[in-house]
Amino acid sequence: MTIDDIKELIRVVQETGIAELEVRRGENSVRIKRSASGSQDVVVPAVLPVPVAGVAPPVASVPAATAQDTAPPPAVTPPAPPAEESRDVIVKSPIVGTYYDAPSPGAPPFVKVGDHVEPKQVLCIIESMKLMNEIEAETAGTLIARHVENGRPVEYGESLFTIRPA
Amino acid sequence: MPLDIACIQRARPSNPILYYPTIGSTMIEASSLANDGASHGTVVLADEQTAGMGRFGRSWLSQPEAGIYCSILLRLQLKPGSLPVASLLLGLAAAEAIQKATELICDLRWPNDVLIRERKVAGILTHLTEGCIVAGIGINANQTSFPDGLRTPATSLRIESGGREQSREAVVIHLLEAIDSFCSTLKSEGPESIVRAFTRASSYALHRRIIIEETGEKGTTAGLDSNGFLLVQLDRGKLERVAAGGVRPDV
Repeated sequence: MTIDDIKELIRVVQETGIAELEVRRGENSVRIKRSASGSQDVVVPAVLPVPVAGVAPPVASVPAATAQDTAPPPAVTPPAPPAEESRDVIVKSPIVGTYYDAPSPGAPPFVKVGDHVEPKQVLCIIESMKLMNEIEAETAGTLIARHVENGRPVEYGESLFTIRPA
Repeated sequence: MPLDIACIQRARPSNPILYYPTIGSTMIEASSLANDGASHGTVVLADEQTAGMGRFGRSWLSQPEAGIYCSILLRLQLKPGSLPVASLLLGLAAAEAIQKATELICDLRWPNDVLIRERKVAGILTHLTEGCIVAGIGINANQTSFPDGLRTPATSLRIESGGREQSREAVVIHLLEAIDSFCSTLKSEGPESIVRAFTRASSYALHRRIIIEETGEKGTTAGLDSNGFLLVQLDRGKLERVAAGGVRPDV
């Protein structure tokens, strides 16, 4: 993965407004996370990370108060309005296999980032032992991120797409 | 001669059978039936396919009245992660059917190519659509020759039995019986029972020199894991789990 590739991914994050984007390419992996201020943190781990379970809303971490706390409570701040990201739906792989974005090599992909998708629309195929598993959208909305590259292996529960509900 | 569907239906009353003298692809018709809610065991049979499907849009040669072109719907009560074991099950069933109908002994190349003397005699393609497995099974029965340049060298039951014509009906009946039988085993004993049966039936499961199709890496097979994925001890030292694609012999 080159610097230009990473710059391109940052551009995608800026344009789409998603909170976090993780892309794997061979042994390399990059995770770009939008911070509360709107800037991006780019994390290139030395080893492959555990697949993300979902998109974390971009909130600052605050120590949890407990009933035993004796210190005066912190100044109450109004809760942030629900971020749009919290409604985003992550489509995950139900099986271990290989991700394919088109029905056959050279064919146009089922979907592209930016497309509007409808429930039951096929988003990709995960092949496992020659079982072609069609992954369908369960929600109508805009496909705002694709997390896996064509032809790459995926694990059970790995994030494949983010859909922002219509 | 066209398939004697009445004979097959009499022997297999529990399988609803739809027959077409000519069809584009039995897979397309079977997928449509699956989406309409057709029951487990529904079969689509044709004497000729004009657009027979292989993996990833490859074609499957479908000479009229020579091969068996069949798709079957399987509604298995399994977790999604266990469904791919159906690929192994279908290969086992095709190999058993051929052996019972013709006495020819087949080998299985992971995940489900059915071979006689390293030549492909049956191929299987499975799609999962809305929880229903749509399995396409092509068996080379009475072809007397094959064109050059196929991805895997092919053979037919007729070629392997000294030119003697084989009953396609007998193979289909044994195939539907074997699928039923392995589905019962899967239900009662779990996916591991199918993995064990495949390991016993396939010379590719252990100690075979192979090339992984997807990566081109070479290694030696080291058994199947509990999900049915092939383990390969790569020449570069790593133990690799192959989940998709296939393998070919390293000769």
